[in-house]
Amino acid sequence: MAALLQNLNQFFSAIAGFLTPVALFHVFWSTLLGIVIGALPGLTATMGVALVTTLTYKLPPELAILILICVYNGAIYGGSRSAILLNIPGTPANAATTLDGFPLARAGLAGKAMGIATSGSVLGSLIGMFFLATVAPLLGNYALKFQSFEFFWLAIFGIVISGHLTALEDPMKGWIAGFLGLLTAMVGQEGIHAYERFTYGTTELLGGFALIPAMVGAFGFAEVLTVMRSPAAEVVQEARDSIIPRLGEVFRYWRTIIRSGLIGTIIGIIPGVGEDIAAWVSYAAARRKSPEREKFGKGSVEGLMAAETGNNACVPGAIIPALTLAIPGSAPAAVLLAAMFIHGVRPGPMIMVESPQFVYQVVAMVFFSTLGVLIYGLTLTRFLLWVLAVPRTRLMPVVFVLCAIGSYAITQRTFDIWVMIGFGLFGYVLREMKYPMAPLVLGIILGDILDKNLRRGLVLSDGDLTPFFTRPISLVLWLITLSSILLSIEPARQALRRGAQAIRPGRARREA
Amino acid sequence: MLKADFLTGIAFILLSLYVIVESWRMPRLEHLQVHPLSVPGLVPAFLGIVLLVFAVILLVRSILAGGHRLGLSAEAARRVLSNPGNQRLLLTAILGIGYAGFLVGRIPYWLATGLYVFTFVGVFEWRPGMTRREHVRLGLAAGLLAVATSGLVTWVFQSLFLVTLP
Repeated sequence: MAALLQNLNQFFSAIAGFLTPVALFHVFWSTLLGIVIGALPGLTATMGVALVTTLTYKLPPELAILILICVYNGAIYGGSRSAILLNIPGTPANAATTLDGFPLARAGLAGKAMGIATSGSVLGSLIGMFFLATVAPLLGNYALKFQSFEFFWLAIFGIVISGHLTALEDPMKGWIAGFLGLLTAMVGQEGIHAYERFTYGTTELLGGFALIPAMVGAFGFAEVLTVMRSPAAEVVQEARDSIIPRLGEVFRYWRTIIRSGLIGTIIGIIPGVGEDIAAWVSYAAARRKSPEREKFGKGSVEGLMAAETGNNACVPGAIIPALTLAIPGSAPAAVLLAAMFIHGVRPGPMIMVESPQFVYQVVAMVFFSTLGVLIYGLTLTRFLLWVLAVPRTRLMPVVFVLCAIGSYAITQRTFDIWVMIGFGLFGYVLREMKYPMAPLVLGIILGDILDKNLRRGLVLSDGDLTPFFTRPISLVLWLITLSSILLSIEPARQALRRGAQAIRPGRARREA
Repeated sequence: MLKADFLTGIAFILLSLYVIVESWRMPRLEHLQVHPLSVPGLVPAFLGIVLLVFAVILLVRSILAGGHRLGLSAEAARRVLSNPGNQRLLLTAILGIGYAGFLVGRIPYWLATGLYVFTFVGVFEWRPGMTRREHVRLGLAAGLLAVATSGLVTWVFQSLFLVTLP
């Protein structure tokens, strides 16, 4: 009880700390920018957070991270507007929103759909925020027990699970993307003996590929190419009905809201999976449990609520491992993590020892961004309709200009512009061949963790592999990793099924 | 997708072999008496081997499904190039690389940015058979956007964030 009161006290202190005109001004513009970025097809949350990171270099860390969280949360919400009005998800996280959002808009209920999306997003964020405030400190304290063996498996676990869940049709492509990311992280001076790997005398590569230019390329330039290649979006629906939802209608689906909020948060915590999967899984779970499942895909309010609650609950969820383990839960959280390092914040297992108040400041930041989403969500209609009407031929060159200058501005090297171009082209080709980007990005971040901890672990155990497999946390991590791989291989799946039937002959006979 | 898998399978096999060979060639640092299991090439070699396994599976899988029959011909290449989406893609990539890779750093930043935005809008919005009035309107729109983008980005990064522009 005392601990809970202390936590609440820290949370309210953090809230009070942001109740200044400057902080509120930053919440005001950055949430709006996030919503606009998210609403515009072709501008994703990852790209938005990466580009805005370049605008925050000169700001104090708390304000910089506040701005980035507002952009992140705003963008995931903003994507619902184009999903509802254009049938094009503004960000991949809003793909499930199109299924019911657009049919509602077509039926003349665009305002209602936007209101439901706003309610779902806000409630999802609040559920995720609750878990951020309660789980992050616990996980942070627990992470202090992690040693090299556990961090090694955490890196492999992240790549395998992220690869599996972001490429459900062909998990191997997800794993390949993840291992390509890990290999990318091998370039540059390694962290134990300071040996220069794969640099071939290029001084710019000594520090490896910088994450922000790589991500701006993979998510920004690649997105510009994708948008310009696809046919132009045409119809913008008008919203004639009320955008303010009725409370009764929202809370009628309280079970769906809580379930989707939980699913979104849990998927957020899993490394490198992200908001799009959170929305799809929440949507599928809601459909399975709903008494009105025949309405799903035809304009179901419950389906729309589930998708939007799930993706926004994932935002605070994805921040949990980023803060406590320095392992991002999603691609935008990966940029957020990089931005924290740039601003001198050191996320990771020591955060609850070194700066526990920062965790509560992040919770307060999520709260303010959610408040921003609620206010804009219930008031902005015409402005966003106008924004959505901007042709891509005028938007994309501006986006690309920001990609170029954003990559350059961090270290002021033209080399980083080439990194952005290289990763953009490479990312585009991989994307076209159905390789997901999230495991690639996660790999770039986890590469250093995997490298140092595998070698440190082997040195500590003097080459004995037993601790990698027998320490309790390692055991759980490698068993889940192996199961994930086995479950995606058809012969192994069949063998497992046969094995299960052999163990339960009675049930097998009944099924036969 | 099978053909693409066949080609990427080969590319990833070559990449992983390269990584494995390079990792093997990295120094063992015996003169520093470092632990043999902490040598710099260990982890890249491990990653290279895993990637090799995945790449071989990808290649074999695509060959079994007939992905090795690429069916390359001049006609197929012409079809790809004449697709309007691919043309837009190519043009976007050329304009982007031309601007960020070659113009930026060689001429003043504001000029490079203005030229890029103006050209981009002009190239993609121009249609054959446009009237003189439409040409003027397009030129004005592209020019305004170019001046606004170039001016604002230059001002924000140079004066507000104190970045020395390329």
